[in-house]
Amino acid sequence: MTNSRALCLILACGNTLRCDDGIGPWLAQWAEERFLNDARVRVIARQQWTPDLAEDIAVSESVVFVDCSVNSAPGSVRLVEVEPVVASQGLATHHVGAPELLALARDLYDSLPSTAMLLTIGAGSTELGEEFSEPVLDAIPQACALLERAVMDRLRELDQRRLPASLNE
Amino acid sequence: MSQTITIDPVTRLEGHGKITIQLNGQGEVEDAHFHVTQVRGFEKFAEGRPFYEMPSLMARICGICPVSHLIASAKACEAIMSIRIPHTAAQLRRMLNLAQMVQSHALSFFYLASPDLLLGMESDPTARNIFGVVAAKPELGRAGIGLRRFGQHIIELLGKKRIHPGWVVPGGVTEPLEAAKRDEILAMIPEAYANIGLALGAYKQIAGSFFAEANLFANFPSLFLGLINEDESVEFTDGALRLIDSHGAIVEDGITAARFTEVIGEAVEPYSYTKFAYYKPLGYPQGSYRVGPLARLNIAKTMGTPRADKELVEFKQLSSGPVWSSFHYHHARLIDILYGIEKIEQILTDPLILDKHVRATAGVNRLEGAGQAEAPRGTLMHNYKVDENGLITWANLVIATGQNNNAMNQGVQQAARAYVKDGKFTDGALNRIEAVIRTFDPCLSCSTHAFGQMPLVLTLLNADGEQVDQLIR
Repeated sequence: MTNSRALCLILACGNTLRCDDGIGPWLAQWAEERFLNDARVRVIARQQWTPDLAEDIAVSESVVFVDCSVNSAPGSVRLVEVEPVVASQGLATHHVGAPELLALARDLYDSLPSTAMLLTIGAGSTELGEEFSEPVLDAIPQACALLERAVMDRLRELDQRRLPASLNE
Repeated sequence: MSQTITIDPVTRLEGHGKITIQLNGQGEVEDAHFHVTQVRGFEKFAEGRPFYEMPSLMARICGICPVSHLIASAKACEAIMSIRIPHTAAQLRRMLNLAQMVQSHALSFFYLASPDLLLGMESDPTARNIFGVVAAKPELGRAGIGLRRFGQHIIELLGKKRIHPGWVVPGGVTEPLEAAKRDEILAMIPEAYANIGLALGAYKQIAGSFFAEANLFANFPSLFLGLINEDESVEFTDGALRLIDSHGAIVEDGITAARFTEVIGEAVEPYSYTKFAYYKPLGYPQGSYRVGPLARLNIAKTMGTPRADKELVEFKQLSSGPVWSSFHYHHARLIDILYGIEKIEQILTDPLILDKHVRATAGVNRLEGAGQAEAPRGTLMHNYKVDENGLITWANLVIATGQNNNAMNQGVQQAARAYVKDGKFTDGALNRIEAVIRTFDPCLSCSTHAFGQMPLVLTLLNADGEQVDQLIR
């Protein structure tokens, strides 16, 4: 593997031409600017998550997946832990979910980030268009704050682990 | 009473299609068709746009092979401008096209085809996917991902984006190559060689166990078309087209883009949105032919690179003349990848590769232009007409999948006759019929220039045309 190692990988997904589906790439862009000078943070945004990303995940200490959710109330923001799950069926070639990507990272590279979180924003509309719905627009400050906190928490945890035991007491 | 079987959707393809199999009263296969069921009509909405916008517009047809569209389109524009692009620009475009071929072939072989090859045609369909491959052969999964990264990273380095890079423009490319990027690509070459070596070795180990499939997967005589250089080596970006017959004799040679439509026609069938290309002097469907990796290797006398040449010698031992079975597209695809890596390495050692002169400019000097290139799946041709202001008045795209369309349909018929008995099939049979299509690695989005969903449908119709069964995955 030759991909660059990050303490925290932000992996966003979404189509910017499908209204609220573009919130993942939008938050990725925000995170790029927020953590511009922090080499510990790496941001990747894709229209779809594909198996290739397993390699990027495997070389990261922690990962925060960012995506919209069509199963949540429009504008609702959630941050949950993700566990690796092997897909039991489906195409699994053009798009895979966060749990499947973690499973691929584990099975291919024998490596998993110590923590994996999924930040979702409930979509109000995924029709053709480049503008967010009102609920998603209203949720952006909360989503940014939660993403920032998730990243900072991961970095703090990892820094703590790297400190000598005596300094951790 | 006859019946029809429908496979809808056909899985693990680039696009959306379905297969129908018509049975007679005895439950035997009478006919079978591969339907491409999506349409988008890029040629139509290009009308009225300035010709220099065409490369970036047309590249949006596809997220897998946008580079081929960029190049064929830019070449058509350059024919309108009547210019020849600088040597360095031609080399950089060639490298970009090869990088795309490597990543696209890696997707086809490792993600779409290898579940059948490694796990077996009759293995549990819920595990017959990339996850099953990873569980069985993780080293191959890593090799596939590595080759995809190799190709995509080169595209990103050159074009700034992994998908739909805008770097190729009429007249050349927008920016020269920097030394640091050249060195970064060169540093990736050894790992790419190791990955393709692993894949070729694994393929050769298992290919022998697919003897029956090799006999039945679109295994018939046909014409073959592909780009070739004057020294009869494989070419992806320049050169001219050669058409050979099923015994290897040259039927037509030196077909430039300007001559393409003199030689190649397109037929329409009511059951598919993809057109059916054919060699005009033989008419349709007798003049149908195949393109892509199998055709390229059948046509070429040499790959033009040492490692791929060794593999070509071995490949040609599969037959005393051109290799007919489309099953061997898989093998040819891997040799294409090896060639691509070697050629990229060669291009990077060109003493002029860092030259700053990478773009020529001109206005409208002709009212029609055509450009051709090899996409991963085969020959691609763009043809435009403009008014004196350079606005597009007419456009036509002849896509690799359309050129393989008749062979894919014949292949489905051949497999259906073998695997459907008494009006019934097992899942192994269903997957084998789909797998015939997969050997061609068709890009249905390209062939219909369509906006579509991924998934394929299998429909069983009786003699009266009534649907009696349908499988949808």
